[in-house]
Order: sequence, then structure tokens, then C-alpha cells
Amino acid sequence: MMAKILSLGRRAARPLPEVGSTPSDAVFAENKWRLLRARPRAEGLAFQTPVLLVPSLINRHYVLDLTRGKSLTSFLVERGHDVFTVDWGTPGDEDRFLGFDDFADRYLGRAVRRTALLAGSERVHLFGYCLGGTLAAIHAALRPDRIQSLLTLAGPVRFHDEGLLSAWTRSPGFDSQAFVAAFGNAPWPLMQAAFQLLRPTLALSKAVHLWHRAGDPTFVDGFLALERWGNDNVSFPGRAFHEYLERLYREDALARGELRVSGERVDLARVRCPTLAVTFEHDNIVPWKSAAALLDLVGAAERERLHLPGGHVGALVSSAAHKQLWPRLSEFWVKHEGGAARQKTDRGRAAR
Amino acid sequence: MLWDAWKKGFDAWENATAQYLEQWLRSPLVLEPAGHLLTRASQAKAAADRSAAAFWGMLGLPTKRDQERSLHALNQLQSRLMDLEERLSELEPPGRG
Repeated sequence: MMAKILSLGRRAARPLPEVGSTPSDAVFAENKWRLLRARPRAEGLAFQTPVLLVPSLINRHYVLDLTRGKSLTSFLVERGHDVFTVDWGTPGDEDRFLGFDDFADRYLGRAVRRTALLAGSERVHLFGYCLGGTLAAIHAALRPDRIQSLLTLAGPVRFHDEGLLSAWTRSPGFDSQAFVAAFGNAPWPLMQAAFQLLRPTLALSKAVHLWHRAGDPTFVDGFLALERWGNDNVSFPGRAFHEYLERLYREDALARGELRVSGERVDLARVRCPTLAVTFEHDNIVPWKSAAALLDLVGAAERERLHLPGGHVGALVSSAAHKQLWPRLSEFWVKHEGGAARQKTDRGRAAR
Repeated sequence: MLWDAWKKGFDAWENATAQYLEQWLRSPLVLEPAGHLLTRASQAKAAADRSAAAFWGMLGLPTKRDQERSLHALNQLQSRLMDLEERLSELEPPGRG
């Protein structure tokens, strides 16, 4: 017990672990969103087709680059990928008017085109996490020309599921239009409270688990980084929030092929590029069936599903992710590189 | 040893409690009144905001919503300009600019 107290005391004396620290540059900005490009490894890039990471709208992007040893971005850079990330930024009050037309088509379209231009490639590998996966799937269906492959990680597609969020959002007493008219953007403290209510005992459970592993400094650092990210939320732009609840959750319009974005019907069957859907067994935010439904709807000849144990966030940043999940993502992109892989890396490997 | 036994008991309690609470949080008996409450609170806030906006409007001052609309329009304008820039650069012959 004394050792745990001392270990936590020593940890408290040090600064909090750095988050989002993989060196990167903002290569484009529009309204609040930015396009970040990770600096390539010293040996240079191994692959021509860039990877564009799209996070959720309501959480910070740096969950994909959490901290040392828990960074998907850093892992991909080390593998020789050209990694771009969308940072949606913090919406202002005026962004209450932004909807799925803006995020899934206009902004994401610009991010795809800029990524391709800057990387000198015709196409990009599109990756989306959580709601970012939904946006990526919508975009790939609307504008498939520049998408080399689609990879969604816990990206909900069929919203009529057994999850608690689905039950709440479909509750007949709640009027999302009145909510947005009153608040503009959906306030992040309210949304965070809702997420905490998904498992009300979680805070206590986390405290007990922290104490249980207090003697492991690596665990404590990872825990603090994840808590920092989990408490650093942003509000959901009002119109997008309304569309998310009404069109996606209540009408299940994406899965039914009835969603309209920028005046066009979103038909997921138009996604013909290789598609991988990653689902997590114990995901209580996006039930795995909701994310796996993508593969039933896309028109891709090559479609894969990777089902892993773990929860919505933990499975992405756990130590197991380093060994199982991340290498599989990289392998998927390498497999579908389209013959444009830079040969110098292969030569370099052969010479070693 | 004692801690490990306690932890096992805690985990079992936590799991059972979470499942029990989830049943409640999924129940229409909780969801419908909570939904109505949130909707009524939203409507009350919107009415209060409208009254405040009407007051500022009477003084000839722009309301918060006016400012939001103006800023949004500027952002949309910026986006359209970027669209045009992209189209122009696509039309440019290779090797220029």
C-alpha cells in the first residue's frame, strides 16, 4: 500500500503526460478545422498513398495520437505511412448552422483533395473513428473517386440497435429541434454527462482500477492521458446534432439508404473500394452490430471485418492495440496500396 | 491478498449494479419524463432568449443570433472562395503557378 501511495505521489510531482505529441504540421485550415500532416520518419515514406484519419466531431482528434506508446499516428509514421489527420477544432456559437452537408461533404471533401494534392497521390486511404467513421462512409459513398480504401473503426452505420444511446435518442419525449433552438450547439458538458450515464459506476470503477495498478507508472501515465482526452470534449454543432439524432438515430436513414447529404441520396452501395470495418466486442457506445452493418451495405468486392475484444476507446489505445489492431490497419493499407508502394523501402529492407 | 479478494467482490458488485442501472436508464418510465423535462427546459430557455433578443432589438442592437448568422455567412463565403480557388487551380495548365 505504501509503495502505491509513493508511486502516485511521485507521479503527481511530475507534469501530466504529453498528448498528441507526434511531430506534425498544420497544412491547411478552414473555419475551425485543420488538416495536420505528421512528419515522416527519418528514412522517408514507404508508401505513396496517404492515410487520412478522421476522428469524431465531439472528441478531440488526439485520441489517435494519445501519448508515447499509445499513439496510432506515431505507429503508422514508423511504418512509413504518410499520415494526415483532420482536427475538427472547437466549434463557435456561429457553427450551430453546420450540418452533415458541411462535415461529410464539403470539409471532408476538401480534406481528401488537399491530402491527395500534398501527398502527390491520386487517391487516399480514408479512415474514420466513431462518428468519424460514419462521416467517412458517407463521404466515400458520395464521392468515391479519390478513395483508395475505406476503413472504419467503431463507426456506427445502423443506428437502430440495442445500445443505450439508441434507446435514449429515440425516446419520444425528447425534441431535438427545441433543444438546438435553445442551446445552438449541443453543449459538451451535457453530452459528457450523457456518456457517463451509459455506465454510471464507471468513475468509481476507474478509481478502484487506478489504485489497483498504482505501482505501474506506464499504466498510470496512460490512464492520465486517456482521462485528459476524455474530459477535453467539444460541443456538437447544432444542425449536425439535430440531423444525427433525427436522420440517423430515429429514422436510421443511412442504413435504409434514405439519408440525403448536399441534396444527394447517400447510397453505401456506391462504396466499391476495399473496405474494412473494425468492431469491438464490449463497445457500449457503438454496439458492434451497428458498426459491422457497413459491410452488408457497401458495394465493395473486397470487404473485411476485424472483431476484437475491448471497449470503444480502450481497444484503440491499449497495449494490445499495439500488437493486434494497429498492425492489422497498416497491413490493410499496404495490401491495398494499388501497386504504388515506394520500392526504395523494399530495397532498403532487403539490404539490411 | 485481502485487496485482491475485495477487488473481485467490487468488480462483481460494479457489474451487477451497472446492469441494474442500465435497465432503469432504458425504461420508458424514466426516458419519457426525462425527455419531456429536457424539451420543456429547452423551450423555456428559447423563450427567455427570444425575450432578451427582442429587448436588444428594440434598442437597435444586433442580437446574438444576428452575430452568429453574420459570422456563419462569412465562413460560408470563405468556403466558397476556397472552392473557386480549387477549380481555378484545376483549370490551370500544368507547370504554372
